[in-house]
Amino acid sequence: MKLVNRFVDKHGTGHVTLRPEDDEDMWHLYNLIQEGDSIRAPAIRRVQKISSTGSVDSQRVRLNLTIKVTRVDFASSAAPSTAAPDDAADGSSSNQANATTALHISGPVTVENQHVRLGAFHTLDIEVQRDVRIEKFEGWDSVALARVNEAIVPGKGAEVAAVVCGEGTAAFCLLSQHMTLVTHRLSLPVPRKGSASGATQHEKGLNRFYATLFESFLRHVPYSNVGLKAIVIASPGWVRDSVYDYMVAEASRRGDKVLQKALKDKVVKVHISSPHVHSLVEVLKSPEIVSQLKETKFAREGIVLDKFFKMLGTDEMRAWYGPDHVVLAADRGAIGTLLISDDLFRASDPVTRKKYVGLVEAVQQKGGEVVIFSSMHESGQQLLLLTGIAALLTFPLDVEVVEAEEKEEAERIRLAKEGEPDGG
Amino acid sequence: MSFAHDKLLEEVQKSLEAQGKGKQALSLVVIGGILVETHISLGHVDAGKSTLMGRLLYELGRMDERTRAANERNSTKAGKSSFSWAWSLDGTSEERERGITMDVALESFSTTKRQITVLDAPGHKEFIPNMISGASRADCALLVIDASTGEFESGFERGGQTREHLVLARSLGVAQVIVAINKLDQVQWGKNRYEEICALLRPFLTQSGFHPVKTSFIPIGAMLGVNLVACEGEDAKQLLEWYQGPTLVDLLDKLEPPARDITAPARIPVSNIFKGQGSGISVSGRLLSGVVQVGERLRILPGDETAVVKTIEVEEENVPWVAAGSNAILALVSVDSVQLAIGSVLCPPTNPVPLALTFTARILIFDIQVPIIAGAMVELFHHSRDVPASVSKLIATLDRASGKVVKSNPRVLAKASSAEVQITLRSTGSSTRPIPLEPYAKNKAMGRILIRREGETIAAGIVMEVLG
Repeated sequence: MKLVNRFVDKHGTGHVTLRPEDDEDMWHLYNLIQEGDSIRAPAIRRVQKISSTGSVDSQRVRLNLTIKVTRVDFASSAAPSTAAPDDAADGSSSNQANATTALHISGPVTVENQHVRLGAFHTLDIEVQRDVRIEKFEGWDSVALARVNEAIVPGKGAEVAAVVCGEGTAAFCLLSQHMTLVTHRLSLPVPRKGSASGATQHEKGLNRFYATLFESFLRHVPYSNVGLKAIVIASPGWVRDSVYDYMVAEASRRGDKVLQKALKDKVVKVHISSPHVHSLVEVLKSPEIVSQLKETKFAREGIVLDKFFKMLGTDEMRAWYGPDHVVLAADRGAIGTLLISDDLFRASDPVTRKKYVGLVEAVQQKGGEVVIFSSMHESGQQLLLLTGIAALLTFPLDVEVVEAEEKEEAERIRLAKEGEPDGG
Repeated sequence: MSFAHDKLLEEVQKSLEAQGKGKQALSLVVIGGILVETHISLGHVDAGKSTLMGRLLYELGRMDERTRAANERNSTKAGKSSFSWAWSLDGTSEERERGITMDVALESFSTTKRQITVLDAPGHKEFIPNMISGASRADCALLVIDASTGEFESGFERGGQTREHLVLARSLGVAQVIVAINKLDQVQWGKNRYEEICALLRPFLTQSGFHPVKTSFIPIGAMLGVNLVACEGEDAKQLLEWYQGPTLVDLLDKLEPPARDITAPARIPVSNIFKGQGSGISVSGRLLSGVVQVGERLRILPGDETAVVKTIEVEEENVPWVAAGSNAILALVSVDSVQLAIGSVLCPPTNPVPLALTFTARILIFDIQVPIIAGAMVELFHHSRDVPASVSKLIATLDRASGKVVKSNPRVLAKASSAEVQITLRSTGSSTRPIPLEPYAKNKAMGRILIRREGETIAAGIVMEVLG
């Protein structure tokens, strides 16, 4: 994403103009734009004019509209557009070619112009390479500004492609800093071995599976893209080896030099325990990948989440989850690492958002680390299942003891309040 | 030839009674495990399950001399002569190349009193999903233990597969087990070694829920064929010095087939789909309850389709009907193959299995490192199907013995505890597909589930209520 301009004063009022460039930027915008914000973006609107004779003339007009947001929709379709691998060859443009996500923002128009009346509803389709101006209704808080800073770091797009496969199933995923896109799923029936069907049916089925997987690979994995750091082939058992061997053989049979080179340089084979997409978390934990992608956000998320689960096993009193408990821990200054899903910041209720922003700021002030998980990643999804917020504490605290303390405290305050009117 | 349903039941009852006097049918899963690294190239990593079954099939005349000779010749050519017996069950080229069983092989043979279907399960950690699929089709288990020094210990200690396999089999409803202590020839038929292993296994079997009456131990040497059908000859001399007990076949004859529920509605979880002879699709699976006859229309769940049973094959013979407990191959017509998937359940259209996205279950948690918390990601195993799911709610922890609620809404579930939880399937792709499940109280075999996480079985349980 490009930052076109930014006018934000120290109190947080002001506006930011951004130019989205790829799918991931749409995700950033989705996380930035909240109900109540003012958005200015180019739009195409059908305008009807009734002439003096009464005939109706309808025209499509391209204009800039400013709306007050009432709804934000984000759709990432698994079905890919027609992007061919050839397009992927020319670097950055590939990202536009296979944009599969869409962002729609609706609301009433707040700035009138000659075509559109004040208060008329419009739905803005946010497009790549079209500037979007965002003015925050509640002002820009630290989390929102951090998001902008993160979003404008140049040079992104899909960094890792992963093929998660089992016998007869495969899922193609593209991982970028903030998103995991499942671009394609494949499922072919492979007869299992058995005396009745014989071994040949099993082998035939497997070969058909490899062939289909190869074709899908060509279509869905931008393997020639220079930005793509690694292609992960992950599976339980030995499927990944067979898949890789088949692809290498097929690439050399077809004389596809680009693919051969990509397979040789970029493929990493990783063992996982189940052929489901959620096993991507295991991929990101595996030493082969960690050493390559230590710097990336998704690897970091995976590591932190794993740490949390391990802590839960070894020292339950230092791994807390759930909004109420985590807030209690923060009050006691106990949080070493805060794990929070960006989903919580998208709360339509500004009070809720403020609560979480406050929590993040409080933890940062005390020197704690905050990891904001992207809910478009598998690790973020798993965190969401655990209420979306969790914390690793610096010292052990017993939940029950803390809750009892809180209760006592509340009781004391209540008594004090009751006592006041009596005294006065 | 087709009967009205009640007539059919009568007929089945009659023939089962007749069978009771003759050969009783039952299915047996061969399990056992080893501790191995993820990558193994060659060598004997297995307890010898496939070898034992190959040898047994040969001894009982189910494998002809020609096949045996061919396997021996080819395996020697590949430099793996010691695998020659296993090759009769490990049919795919990859299995042969790697020298391990990867998927369940199904064979059948008959002893004097029993008609036995054998499911040779893989022992390798990677293929536990296949082992689950096999064990859920069995009544009894044959546990093969590698007696050679060090091997037994590594298979039995934490992380070893022997324990996990036993617990899994028990959780899937297998109540009788024969423990075959194999490869005793490698420790010079030492009686002490045999007894040492038995002594270590006995408390564990009881602890896992196998009744001592329903467990038996036997020393064997599978490769040499000692004490399988008979205990005689040169190779058996050392064993005969201290062992006068029954042979493996004698023990198989004593296995009791469990009671079958033939009056309940039919349920067949599909474990394999392939092209049969002629047109149409063949599916194999075990009839968990009820009866199915040729010409019957069956509903395929999940989905809205039905199929007509054209032929039924049991033990390589065409039969007019099949009753609960049999592993059968059904040839289906008037159905498209895309409607069927491994894990689908066939049932009568009038009495379908409920489909579940969310359900409550009572689970028993195994020896796990990381406790289960609400929202934990797991894989749910039900017969041949595995789906991603999450433990969405921890309802209560229960007392292991009495089943009484100890604590409502617990924060975590620690190891070796029992609990009632709510499980929700996770979406795969755009929509979540429900799976057919039935409460345990209604149909025992359809209500058993296993829960795994990151390649480790963390809990076994039974379905209490399907919430939709």
